[in-house]
Amino acid sequence: MPSPVETAVTEIASKILRKDVDLTTVNNFKELGADSLDIIQIIVRVEDRFDIELLEEDLQNIKGIKDFVAYVEKRIAEKNN
Amino acid sequence: MTNTGPAISLAGRTALITGGSRGIGKAITLKLASRGADVIINFLRRRSIAEATAEEVRAKGVKAHLIKANVAEPEEIDRMFAEIQDRFGKLDIFINNAASGVAKAALELDVRGWEWTMDINARAFLLCTQRAVKLMPRGGRVVAISSLGARLTWPAYSAVGVSKATLEALTRYLAIECAPLGITVNAVAPGAVESEALKLYASQETLSRPDWKQTPAGRMVTPEDIAYLVLFLCSEHASMIVGQVIVIDGGVSLAPINL
Repeated sequence: MPSPVETAVTEIASKILRKDVDLTTVNNFKELGADSLDIIQIIVRVEDRFDIELLEEDLQNIKGIKDFVAYVEKRIAEKNN
Repeated sequence: MTNTGPAISLAGRTALITGGSRGIGKAITLKLASRGADVIINFLRRRSIAEATAEEVRAKGVKAHLIKANVAEPEEIDRMFAEIQDRFGKLDIFINNAASGVAKAALELDVRGWEWTMDINARAFLLCTQRAVKLMPRGGRVVAISSLGARLTWPAYSAVGVSKATLEALTRYLAIECAPLGITVNAVAPGAVESEALKLYASQETLSRPDWKQTPAGRMVTPEDIAYLVLFLCSEHASMIVGQVIVIDGGVSLAPINL
């Protein structure tokens, strides 16, 4: 079962990239055909969806989609604490 | 130098600064607040940074109100101005500062990169000014932040440069239409400014130049320099400056050997 964050990121990426995407089949957004503008838009929409801030200094160290989802979950948990 | 008049006061004025929480926008926000203006700070992403700027504003004894909105989206512009109308009922000063852009050569620029840059840097200026003017029945001030890149060329600056050239042309057209309403519209065109945005561009190889800091005036332009110029353009003293683009670059554009 995908987590709520995975589901949301999939939905957002599908909307931005204008195609149904399966995040489990790729390592990063670029493999889905995303360029840097797509990735910025995905980040902004994820921030809006969960009312969190994703920090540039942290995002620079994100290695792939699994990392990204884990980081979003961490930021949500930090906000709730 | 001697003091030739009273300090500029913006007491009782309400100012909107897009992208007003960081960098040049923050300097302008704090400058207008320091002269008594209540400020509305538009930001895109980092609420914590915007909150910190708002706190600095409130420490000056004036109001600060935050609005998160992406000015690339017309619906978000509508929402932002509806909120300003509801909360303040008027606007006296609009500073069009929010900017973005893709760093590519003109021959490599694609449609998405073009639209992304133009939507934020040029279209937003048009749409925001149209809405701001409706909230300025007693006159007001509009100042747009441009760039030397509107007239000069830098590698990989094509999209931003063209968008800023559009902004400058729009400044002139809006200025003529707004002047009879008691609203001045002007633009400020800085050279390279010591800021986070410059670091971002300079980190890309095509724009990393060792001589950014060389200006005939001996130093780079700072956000504070720009904020003082914007403050003047927002003052009563600037009522006859209409549709102008004022360059603030330490003389760089007159000494192209340094570019």
